[in-house]
Amino acid sequence: MKRDQKITRLAKKLVELSKDNGVVTEAKVGEVLAGLKQVQHRHHLTVLKTFLNYLRREIALQTAVVSTPAALSDEALKAIEATYSKMYGRPVTAVTKQDTSLIAGVRVRVGDDVYDASVAGRLQRLAENVK
Amino acid sequence: MKATFITLLLALSLPLGLVAAGATHDAVVAHGEEAAPAEGNKLTMITDKFGVTVPTLVAQMVNFCLVAFVLYKFAVKPIAATLDERQQKIADGLQYAEEMKTQLAEAERERAEKIKQAAIDAQKILTESREQSKEMIEQKTQEAAAQAEAIIRKASEATELERQKMLSDVRQEVARLVVATSSKVLSRDLSDSEKQTFSDSAAKELASAGN
Repeated sequence: MKRDQKITRLAKKLVELSKDNGVVTEAKVGEVLAGLKQVQHRHHLTVLKTFLNYLRREIALQTAVVSTPAALSDEALKAIEATYSKMYGRPVTAVTKQDTSLIAGVRVRVGDDVYDASVAGRLQRLAENVK
Repeated sequence: MKATFITLLLALSLPLGLVAAGATHDAVVAHGEEAAPAEGNKLTMITDKFGVTVPTLVAQMVNFCLVAFVLYKFAVKPIAATLDERQQKIADGLQYAEEMKTQLAEAERERAEKIKQAAIDAQKILTESREQSKEMIEQKTQEAAAQAEAIIRKASEATELERQKMLSDVRQEVARLVVATSSKVLSRDLSDSEKQTFSDSAAKELASAGN
């Protein structure tokens, strides 16, 4: 248990070291990995796995996955990035993902938060509201 | 009663005295015919004429007293006692009969009173029973009405709930069908440009909502 706590704290610290101006960058991650390789931690594999999990979580928090059935304009994507960066207080990058089940509209997921403005979502909410 | 018998004895003794006097008179007449010329006294003549002599008279009086005493002692007194006793019995019987009559009348009156009271009580009980039965019938009727009303209300509520549930199910099913149909229709009928336009507007809507 104590070992896990230490590894967790180390992984969180490594994630913080992987940020450049609050954004996880590939270069910083490479540096961190190189450093880990040099240090050769006793629980090297566990540290790497934990670091990967926290890194994925951090990337997810910094990424707005915009699901849409059709391609979005750059203007709309930039507006989404600006809005959620301001909302969460950190740089958020928009990534589009095609999803034809939405029919039309967009669905944005930032971490565990989902913002739905799709036709399918609206129809689903309409159906749920009918009782 | 005793006086009556004494009077009766005297009345009986009078003929006996007369008979005795007659016998004495015969003796006196026989003797008088011989002695009349010798005595001039009128009284003597009368007594002689009627044959009354002192010894005979005394003896007859003694006899009479003895007979009267014996009769009184052994005949009149028991008979009088018997008659008195019988008369007492009769009087007692009459008194008893009178008492019985009185008691009978009293009993009859009490019986009539009791019958009357019983009739009144019976009427009262009957009236109370009728009132109680009437109240009970009314109470049971009210209870039955309340129960029927409660059953009807429960049934109505159950029916209403069932109806609401059915309506909800129907609405949900209709909504599901509408959504499914709309999804299919929109997926088929919306062009790519329309989808893109809608997606852009939705993205801007999200962006403006976030701000």
